[in-house]
Amino acid sequence: MAVNTFWYGCNMTRHGEIIRLSQCILEAVGVEAAPVGGPGACCGSPKESTPRIAEGMADRTMEKFSASGTPRVITWCPSCHANLDDFMGQTQEQSFDSQHLCEAIHERRARLAPLLTQRVAARVFVDRHVGFQGRVPVNAIIPELLGMIPGVSVMEHPYRAPSYMCFGLAGVPGALADVQRTTLAAMRETGADTLVTIFHSCHREMIGLERDHGIRVVNWVHLLAEGMGIPYQDEYKTWRNAEDPLAAIGAARVAAAGAAAVARLVEPELSRPLLV
Amino acid sequence: MVAHQDWAALRAAETARMLAACTRCGACFEACPMVAYAPDARGTDAVAAVTGVLDVLTGGGGDAAARNWIGVCTRSGACNEACPEAVNPMLMLRLAKWRGSETGALPKRDAAETMSRVKVFARLSFTEQEQSEWL
Repeated sequence: MAVNTFWYGCNMTRHGEIIRLSQCILEAVGVEAAPVGGPGACCGSPKESTPRIAEGMADRTMEKFSASGTPRVITWCPSCHANLDDFMGQTQEQSFDSQHLCEAIHERRARLAPLLTQRVAARVFVDRHVGFQGRVPVNAIIPELLGMIPGVSVMEHPYRAPSYMCFGLAGVPGALADVQRTTLAAMRETGADTLVTIFHSCHREMIGLERDHGIRVVNWVHLLAEGMGIPYQDEYKTWRNAEDPLAAIGAARVAAAGAAAVARLVEPELSRPLLV
Repeated sequence: MVAHQDWAALRAAETARMLAACTRCGACFEACPMVAYAPDARGTDAVAAVTGVLDVLTGGGGDAAARNWIGVCTRSGACNEACPEAVNPMLMLRLAKWRGSETGALPKRDAAETMSRVKVFARLSFTEQEQSEWL
């Protein structure tokens, strides 16, 4: 019988551990889901400057999902989720239903609760954005899930970053730095010691704040895993915050991934200057 | 039965709906938190900015304010909450960006290396079995 699909998107290939943890948490609450993503399961968003190409990619993804017989697609990425709703499902037959990962876990929170056995001492500030909240109430669901972890206090603050995730802000001069400064100020105001990201692009942009601001930055899936006692390593954060990212990755892994490609496509991203 | 034959048909239908529904009141522009980051749009007349966006949406060049506003959209959705006609200005700006990319009114996003980067990170972050099963 076909299982559910965990559609992690494309840029999540930076965070293999979040995909593994998501699959593990889903399984723990009774949902079998096979991870699918990357260029072969694209929503078209990265290519939307050329809509015809974006449409072709999205169509192929819909065909792939339909051919698999999957009954449900569990999304991670807000871009994928929105494109499925707004374009893909409007123009292709959809043989499956869909929900966001946090909804899939939240609706089984009664099964999650007894699994959260590990105390995680953290006063968390959730990096909440607007934009996606109207589709999926992530700003309510995720803090509620985090609040179920023993030792976690969710600090409330009215600030919401002005974008659906940090990806859009990064391309607007000054905007991401302003959001980071405001987020840090809000954290100080509330006494939070841990910044919890919701989306992957936010995680990518916020983890550098660990270096100089005396806070910890984790994704919400990381924190749930800690509460469940599931070990993980946030390697992207280690690489991003290392003095020498390539040394942190290790010569053997760089060589296996293709040294020239890593130098051209990975190293500049990992060593880009911090904004604040 | 799907709602639209393809994305072109969907865009055409949405564009027609938006043109009919939008009263050019400018509430979306005034509510937008990103205008502060658009020097060509900041301080401009809200009605003119919306009119410019609709021009880009329908294949025109728009003015500098409209192009700059479209360019800084981060899909905050503040415009949708402000719109009294349920036009969905967030989608309006997104479709205008697409149209502007096609006509040359707006620069195309450089995504040439996006998927190559995605693949290299997969080689770094996934096991061989995961690459085989997850990609």
